[in-house]
Amino acid sequence: MHSQLRKSNAIALNINRTIIYIVCIFLALLSIAPFWIMFVNATRSTSEIQQGLAILPSGHLMRNLEILLDKSFDPITGFVNSFIIAAGATLCAVYFSSLTAYGLVAYNWKLRQPFFTFIILVMLIPAQASAVGFYQFMYKLGWTNNHLPLILPAIASPAIVFFMRQYLIGALSFEVVESARVDGSGEFATFNRIILPIMMPAVATQAIFVFVANWNNLFMPLILLTQKEKYTLPIMVSLLRGDIYRTEYGSIYLGLSLTAIPLFIIYFLLSRYIIEGVALGSVKE
Amino acid sequence: MRRRSKLNYSRYGYLFCLPFVLAFLVFSLYPILYTAFIGFTDMKGVVPKTPHILDDPLENFKNLLFENELFRMSLMNTALIWIVNFIPQLGLALLLTAWFTNKRLKLRGQGAFKILFYMPNIITAGTIAVLFSSLFAYPIGPINSMYQMFGWSNEAINFLQDKTTARGIVAFIQFWMWYGHTMLILIAGVLGINPAIYEAAAIDGANGFQTFFRITLPSLRTIMLFTLITSMIGGLQMFDIPQLFLAGQPDNSTYTATMFIYSQAFRGSYLYNRAAAASMILFVIAAVLSAFLFYLMRDRDAARLKREERRIRKAAKAASQGGVTHA
Amino acid sequence: MKRTLALLTAIIMLASLLAACGGSNKDNNSGSNSSTGGNTSSNTESTGNSGGSSGSGEKIKINLWSFTDEIPKMAEKYVQLFPEKNVEFNPTIIATTEGAYQPALDQAIVGGGSDAPDIYAAEAAFVLKYTQGDMSDFAAAYADLGLTDDMVKEAGIAEYSVEIGSKDGVLKALGYQATGGAFIYRRSIAKDVFGTDDPQVIKDEIGPGWDKFFEAAEKLKAKGYAIVSGDGDIWHPIENSSDQGWIVDGKLHIDPKREAFLDMSKRLKDNGYHNDTRDWQEAWFADMNGSGPKPVFGFFGPAWLINYVMKDNVGDTFGDWAVTEPTTGFFWGGTWLLANKEVLKDEAKKQAVADFIKWVTLDTSETGLQYFWANGTMVEGEQGTKDSVASSVVMEKSNGELDILGGQNMFDVFVPANANATGKNLTQYDESINLIWRDQVREYAAGNKSREQALADFKNRVKDELGIDSE
Repeated sequence: MHSQLRKSNAIALNINRTIIYIVCIFLALLSIAPFWIMFVNATRSTSEIQQGLAILPSGHLMRNLEILLDKSFDPITGFVNSFIIAAGATLCAVYFSSLTAYGLVAYNWKLRQPFFTFIILVMLIPAQASAVGFYQFMYKLGWTNNHLPLILPAIASPAIVFFMRQYLIGALSFEVVESARVDGSGEFATFNRIILPIMMPAVATQAIFVFVANWNNLFMPLILLTQKEKYTLPIMVSLLRGDIYRTEYGSIYLGLSLTAIPLFIIYFLLSRYIIEGVALGSVKE
Repeated sequence: MRRRSKLNYSRYGYLFCLPFVLAFLVFSLYPILYTAFIGFTDMKGVVPKTPHILDDPLENFKNLLFENELFRMSLMNTALIWIVNFIPQLGLALLLTAWFTNKRLKLRGQGAFKILFYMPNIITAGTIAVLFSSLFAYPIGPINSMYQMFGWSNEAINFLQDKTTARGIVAFIQFWMWYGHTMLILIAGVLGINPAIYEAAAIDGANGFQTFFRITLPSLRTIMLFTLITSMIGGLQMFDIPQLFLAGQPDNSTYTATMFIYSQAFRGSYLYNRAAAASMILFVIAAVLSAFLFYLMRDRDAARLKREERRIRKAAKAASQGGVTHA
Repeated sequence: MKRTLALLTAIIMLASLLAACGGSNKDNNSGSNSSTGGNTSSNTESTGNSGGSSGSGEKIKINLWSFTDEIPKMAEKYVQLFPEKNVEFNPTIIATTEGAYQPALDQAIVGGGSDAPDIYAAEAAFVLKYTQGDMSDFAAAYADLGLTDDMVKEAGIAEYSVEIGSKDGVLKALGYQATGGAFIYRRSIAKDVFGTDDPQVIKDEIGPGWDKFFEAAEKLKAKGYAIVSGDGDIWHPIENSSDQGWIVDGKLHIDPKREAFLDMSKRLKDNGYHNDTRDWQEAWFADMNGSGPKPVFGFFGPAWLINYVMKDNVGDTFGDWAVTEPTTGFFWGGTWLLANKEVLKDEAKKQAVADFIKWVTLDTSETGLQYFWANGTMVEGEQGTKDSVASSVVMEKSNGELDILGGQNMFDVFVPANANATGKNLTQYDESINLIWRDQVREYAAGNKSREQALADFKNRVKDELGIDSE
């Protein structure tokens, strides 16, 4: 009796598992498809692309590369600029958000709760709500063709602060902080040397999100950066699309692929943290 | 003594939050105030003159709220597309979370799946837009060929000319781009739940289903609130996909609120003032909705969580003592 | 308490900053206003001021703004050909696709200073803003650059191009391309249906006038062909042959010819005269090589459509095409070149800018840009793409024979086509209004709403999006 029950349980588990695998593999294919098509299209000629989708690569990769490089597409400059902006914004976002979150969790100050409410309120402000003003403001400051307006605003990233705070509530042990104090470590040094490493999994997860968003960001850079030397990779790709009457789609896809490759590398480097997962503590013993 | 040391340290709380506040003041608050101010003025045209407060300062707001059918329509579309995308998105993310955090299932390749599910978020909106318009191309395209192959339709269907389908596809793209992200956040939330509760439940003999609904879901409240709010804000800002994929067509069915703001400010008549007023309305909507969400989910959160925990522990104790548990 | 105070102070500071910004804005405006008033007299004044900087051997730097690399490439060629001109170009390219070119350009022009654009390009979709609309006061008159109306006449520049480039008779912009449209059709289908592929005969089969066009459509349908690919194909001829543009006296005006597009679009669809494609989408491109549901007879378009779009898409039908006069004269697209008024203040710079603009738009010699452009000889020793150019004088001495057209000389058709186009019906809102219009027309043609409803919705959308009331 008992073993039969266990057996039917095991069968049910297997059926369950099979269903789960089918769903997961289906979703995984859906995830891979656009990348596959993008890479395939990078090897096809414009007219081939205009005639529809294809599963198999074609032989126009070198031709597309020639067109791409001929069209003032400079992968090195683009990469450097994109990297400065994305990495800068990511560092600012995760570092200062961690710092703010630590300030919110570790210290008991009078305005702590109001400030947290304030951060949540800030989180509610749609970026578009200030886009018009931001754009005019940067022009007035003369901060066009400068990477800073694309990096510094990341210091105030309310959603990341919220995430980090949740994480710290679960992961921070006050004994560690206290013993650091006993050892004579300054508060700031404690944060940098002891707390940051503890927060690493959460930092890495958020870093991926922020980096991806900034790497692909197009609209603000497009408006603010008008000098060729300052262009990011997505701007260069959008430039390729600029000539609507003679668009070279093959080279556009190659450009998109080149834009995506560094992102892939960074994503996979950091993906360890996605696999392991981060524990957001909402419950404390 | 102890109290004093705390007071001493409290200034670090202010200090550590200072950069955030400064960056916020300069890069967000100023532009927001400026935007709000523009909303009351006559600032428009390619080369706007010095803005003047309108004789009726609320003129722009009144126009938007009472006369501008397009703005109302764009709000409706935004809400519709967001809801249609978010419910299945959260559903799938929760399901995947349940699977991936279920220790009994022992799924293989979990890591690879997690990495892959987030990937649609990496690719640029432009690429996705092009891809989907190719897929649904009319009169010849992959989806149309599929329909004909399976005999679902004899004639080519112009999917993107139909309002419901067009909205549905945009919602699907949003869903597909974001469910991985939501899943990762939810998994993080589950990993933060005290394992002791699960152990208690396991002893209790709760099955996966019960564990998920009785323990995981209630404990995820805060994280769900976070997901809900960030997704809602993201939804209110939905722009890239509807813009690049369908340009708001057909018949403005995928025309979203931020597309409205964008085309007011940066195209056609350059109505900065109306765009600014619309932005402020959007902000108020976000604030009201979030307040509502907080009221629904957060107020009772901590108290309920504790009660829940106690109840489960008690139940578990009772179960381990051989008693009969009931819902 | 202290903190509330601090916050208050911060807000007050911000508010004053705001006020300051408003103030500086005002200064900018009044500055540009005063320079609007002064013309030649103020030029000589400022020339005296800045004369010292130019005389030396230093290169004259010209800021060139464009939305593709087409004009910057021309500038490279110019520097190569005429090193003695001693100029140096500093190109800025911003794509129009995301709508960023115009805001950036506007800010740069209004902002002024040494980084301000000296020469800038504008595309047909928005050129009116810079030649006749809100930004037109910032553009220098060609006459002030020493480019006279006589030179324009001598070069045989198409009338429509001048019309678009002028405000109240003062010329401010010209192009290098001419984009007058033709009807581009399949020879084999013409033989099958009309018994000949002679452009002179086909021209009378499909026009003049839309009634003849639909007669032809019926004949083509009888043999299983579609006359065009989609309704977008007839939109451009209709749009640019209407008597008036979308805006008349500040109000939305629906020209009867444009309104007729509603009915024609529906007629095309209901009778199956086309493949119901949308321009710039896969099915439209597929129709260029005949792989759509019905083989398509032809496309309406300028030379660039043949040379930049169709050439690579026609596949096996290469050489099976011909051009003839369209059902109605029109143009489609094009790029215009403008100079910033500020360049007039510096004699040396003015001269350098004028020389370059002249080389691009008015030079009819064999070392002028348009000769290279028409013959596809931009890159030495390489047969590039031939195109129809602004100057009919240049086209007359150029070779416009194309293999895709079975050796037909495209200039035979495009020179009159350019002359037949009119540039009087553009407005600076066309891009936005056309998008709304085409959307509503599609809704009506698809049978999703009534004609009245479509027209009413169109008017409402224009009002709501652009703040323009209808008549």
